[in-house]
Amino acid sequence: MAASLFWIVLVTAVYLVMILCLGYLGYKKTKAAEDYLVAGRNAHPVVIALSYGATFISTSAIVGFGGQAANLGMGMIWLTVFNIGVGVLLAFVIFGKKTREIGSRLKAITFPDLMGKVYSSQFMQVVSGLVIIVGMPLYTAAVLIGGAQFIKETLGISYAASLIGFAVIVAIYVVFGGLIAVMYTDAVQGAIMLLGMTFLLIFTYVILGGVTAAHTALTNMADMVPAKLAEQGMNGWTVMPDLGSPIWFTLVTTLVLGVGIGVLAQPQLVVRFMTAKDGRSLNRAVLVGGPFILMMTGVAFTVGALTNVYFNQTKGTIAIAAAGGNVDSIIPLFINLATPDWFTVLFMVTLLAAAMSTLSSLFHAMGTALICDVWGRGRECALSLKANQIGVLVMIIASVIVAFLMPGSIIAIATAMFMGLCASAFLPVFAVAVYCRKPDPLAAKVSLVVGAAVWFVWALFVNSRYAAVFGLSNAALGTTSVLPYPWSAIDPLIIALPLSGLAILLLQARAGRQRGESSPV
Amino acid sequence: MLGIPDPQIWIAYLLCIALAIACIIYGLLNWNRGGA
Repeated sequence: MAASLFWIVLVTAVYLVMILCLGYLGYKKTKAAEDYLVAGRNAHPVVIALSYGATFISTSAIVGFGGQAANLGMGMIWLTVFNIGVGVLLAFVIFGKKTREIGSRLKAITFPDLMGKVYSSQFMQVVSGLVIIVGMPLYTAAVLIGGAQFIKETLGISYAASLIGFAVIVAIYVVFGGLIAVMYTDAVQGAIMLLGMTFLLIFTYVILGGVTAAHTALTNMADMVPAKLAEQGMNGWTVMPDLGSPIWFTLVTTLVLGVGIGVLAQPQLVVRFMTAKDGRSLNRAVLVGGPFILMMTGVAFTVGALTNVYFNQTKGTIAIAAAGGNVDSIIPLFINLATPDWFTVLFMVTLLAAAMSTLSSLFHAMGTALICDVWGRGRECALSLKANQIGVLVMIIASVIVAFLMPGSIIAIATAMFMGLCASAFLPVFAVAVYCRKPDPLAAKVSLVVGAAVWFVWALFVNSRYAAVFGLSNAALGTTSVLPYPWSAIDPLIIALPLSGLAILLLQARAGRQRGESSPV
Repeated sequence: MLGIPDPQIWIAYLLCIALAIACIIYGLLNWNRGGA
């Protein structure tokens, strides 16, 4: 145990009381169902940006992907390039403004609701809701594990107690208020996260003797790469893996592209665009969003890789070995051992903020998908606050069960799974919905089903890393992958997204020809 | 550069910083555009 229990409990309690008070103030402003669901479509640009950023960045990015950077090296920084270029610039400028216009015009309140209304199809609403209910618990479980790993390391209590305690805190917070309460608390949590990550970057470089000295020390550790990783193409922590090697495929197709592109079509982030008052708010949000994401993932990946230098200097070993082989334990262990006690406490609050701001939106999205979109099928169920709260509670319990079933070193992989599934199933139908004058319902239905089905088949039977987690291929066919390398190393997104995109383009073009138009979109 | 030998890595770092600056410039240039 690194920091004194008294300070941890005191600071965490003060933080939680502050957040609950803010949540209550927001809750009192939640007068109508539209307030609960899209924050009254009147949120301040800084609140939108910090809220979007805090929702986007969770313990998964800091603990899970930071741990992967410790394991696979600084090549993870390419994900930050995508996070800012695709996740902020492209998302806000290309998708955000159109989504806000259409969402406002159609009075859509959830992502499946938007799909159902754009395509005038209950099928689109229900199937989108089902994909969320099935896929999103992978991500929420990963975020819960990220928080629980840090609590376990800091308080020295069992993993099970950490996970359940963390889930209970989040559940109280999430069931309490709707999106308007969440938006205000998110903005405060975003500010806390910015503070925590800035300190972490400064601390790490100070401990390791400066920027160039730290990077040079990490470069000089190339001969310490574990034999198993070196065989698979890893050359060190400050160089990219060999092009086309198994490590390269994991780094580039799963972690960088899976999450980098997957962020565009995430239901809980699309809802954020629908909360904006006008296009101007979204333009202003870009200004805060880009630098915020740079300070979150850029710092997490850089510090993650540099933990190897710290563990080498203090224990004569690399990070993954110091953490007992669990990638997800590296960042919590580093914070507890390398930084002062007061920072460990601040970082605990940073991670709580990161997890709660993300989970609140995820549970909100899952609860409304379960109650409004699948069970209610668009009836006026949104007006029943109680039904939505029950939906949220059911999904929280499901997520905790999934978290207990997951193996170690899973946070980044489970996150990439969910985001890859979102991109494969939702990105083509979402792009056509916001940019096509006459979106064709049949084209959308085929694309959604093809994207989701191909993703699931590839994840369950071909990608060996994913198939090993699910265990279905091994149980049914006696092998983790039915196809040889390199297919077994390629992420399902790389196969499913082009197919679902092709399906919607071809059928949309056919529908256009039948109407006597030449352009497909 | 700065102790990182692989240009594929430090170019990514420069891209990150350039994109973050692009976000700031975009936000400032469009501060009053896109009204209701």
